[in-house]
Amino acid sequence: MQSRINCDNFFTMKIALAQISPKLGDLEQNFQIHIDYIQKAKKKNVDLLIFPELSLTGYTLKDMVEEIAVDPRTDPLFKKLVGLCREMSFVVGFVEEKEKGLFYNSAAFFSKGKIIHIHRKIYLPTYGMFEELKFFGQGKNFHSFTTPFGKAGMLICYDFLHISSSYLLFVGGSEIIIAISAAPGRGISDDDGYASARMWELMGEAVAHFFQSFVIYCNRVGFEDGKSFAGGSFIYNPGGQLVAKSPYVDEDFLVKDIDLEEIRRFRKNRPYRRDEKPEITLEAFKRIVAQYED
Amino acid sequence: MKINPGFVEKLLNRFIKEELSKFDFTKGILGLSGGLDSAVCAYLAARALGPKNVIVLIMPYKEMFGRDVQDAKDLAHRLGLKFHIVDISPMVDAYFAIHPTESRILKGNKMARERMSILYDFSEREKALILGTSNKTELLLGYSTIHGDMACAINPLGDLYKTQIRQLARYMKVPDKILKKRPTAGLWAGQTDERELGLRYTKIDKILYQLVDLKKSKKEIISERFPKKDVEKILGLIKGSEFKRHLPPIPKISMRTVGHDFLYPYDRDK
Repeated sequence: MQSRINCDNFFTMKIALAQISPKLGDLEQNFQIHIDYIQKAKKKNVDLLIFPELSLTGYTLKDMVEEIAVDPRTDPLFKKLVGLCREMSFVVGFVEEKEKGLFYNSAAFFSKGKIIHIHRKIYLPTYGMFEELKFFGQGKNFHSFTTPFGKAGMLICYDFLHISSSYLLFVGGSEIIIAISAAPGRGISDDDGYASARMWELMGEAVAHFFQSFVIYCNRVGFEDGKSFAGGSFIYNPGGQLVAKSPYVDEDFLVKDIDLEEIRRFRKNRPYRRDEKPEITLEAFKRIVAQYED
Repeated sequence: MKINPGFVEKLLNRFIKEELSKFDFTKGILGLSGGLDSAVCAYLAARALGPKNVIVLIMPYKEMFGRDVQDAKDLAHRLGLKFHIVDISPMVDAYFAIHPTESRILKGNKMARERMSILYDFSEREKALILGTSNKTELLLGYSTIHGDMACAINPLGDLYKTQIRQLARYMKVPDKILKKRPTAGLWAGQTDERELGLRYTKIDKILYQLVDLKKSKKEIISERFPKKDVEKILGLIKGSEFKRHLPPIPKISMRTVGHDFLYPYDRDK
């Protein structure tokens, strides 16, 4: 298959989700897992391959954060990854040392032989079993950026559970919202899977439908420190319809064609995007924020 | 509080398999009492690791638990597990000959720790990782012997209430004679948990679920027609046993201290 230069040249693209179980604290081994999946995806002519949150490091790092952090501009493993993204794009999760001693939970979008965007997680869950604010700095912005497949935005796990994150990407022009995750399953009932899975799927469906974007959610699996990552990765189309879904708990490699023309189709039928008024939202926010008492 | 037992079984199988392989173990070992929790754990281990990789220890004291020993042996045969019977009477009796007591609690705790000591010895001999069998109900109530039946490497059943384990057991087809037994910690002959706690597990679990899982206040739970004295009793047991759910505290003196700010997951680099 030919390499695809710009999104006007094709309507369908092949997405792959690597629902993996990274090895906690082992950059080298996780790098190898990434290489294996990249090769596997290349054989299937995948255009965009997504790995979960902190896919290169594992999630429950605690004090290992500073030991496993890399600067993507100079790290030799990242140089090798850059060398692999000429024909295929991919998203990986890692710990970034942005400045000396400043660590972020980051996602990098590799495409056309370079890193075209890095998103630094903004909403760092620090409650119950989560303690990310203890170890990571907070990102500052949600960017919509240009990819070979149209404008896209990236979110990391808890970012996605704040509807304003996806709203900002929508308003910024994103047509593809990529959420990478290391979400532990919580809550058992007589249903299949964890109760918490519903929360992700509900958000995926709603964001896809009302922001008329493809929502691509890649979660991980496996156990760390007793936490069980729930899997259940999914793709919703811009009409809020489920396109594909991975199983809960088990590793999976999900490959699916999506039709980018659907973005136009749904946006023509219901002009949410055309009629959105970010300037009104902005003015309302200013008033609300001005009235804060503490 | 109902569970989907198929999903829970799959999850716990995966947990057992994954934790063992992280630490390069292929075999698991556990104490089989003839009761429900250890039976369910044995079933899970047998399915997760294969029967050949599961070793069970049956550790009776004198003739006290004759029927349980037989049930444990039957279960090991049924699942095709390798088992050892280790009579703990000589060790326990030798100790109490020197430090005699009439206290059933002291005797029961000594037996629980004797069993722990043998499990750890066999764990090393057999190169097998110890699977714990403590359930969520007893962990929350502190209804267990610290460094005794609580001691293990991994605890697959620790987030399931007793009544949920019963549901899982029925699904896994644990024999009726084990399912129908009155739960006992085996501290002395004729003891049952429910008589000692003064409450049925069905009741305890419902209250614990409200308190712990749903984070409801005491006031809210009592207003939902749970008897005040039961709720207070359970809260008292939870608070009184907090120490059993922690590693011993260390006074912080240095810049970086184990248990305070030397923070790593237990499966670091695994």
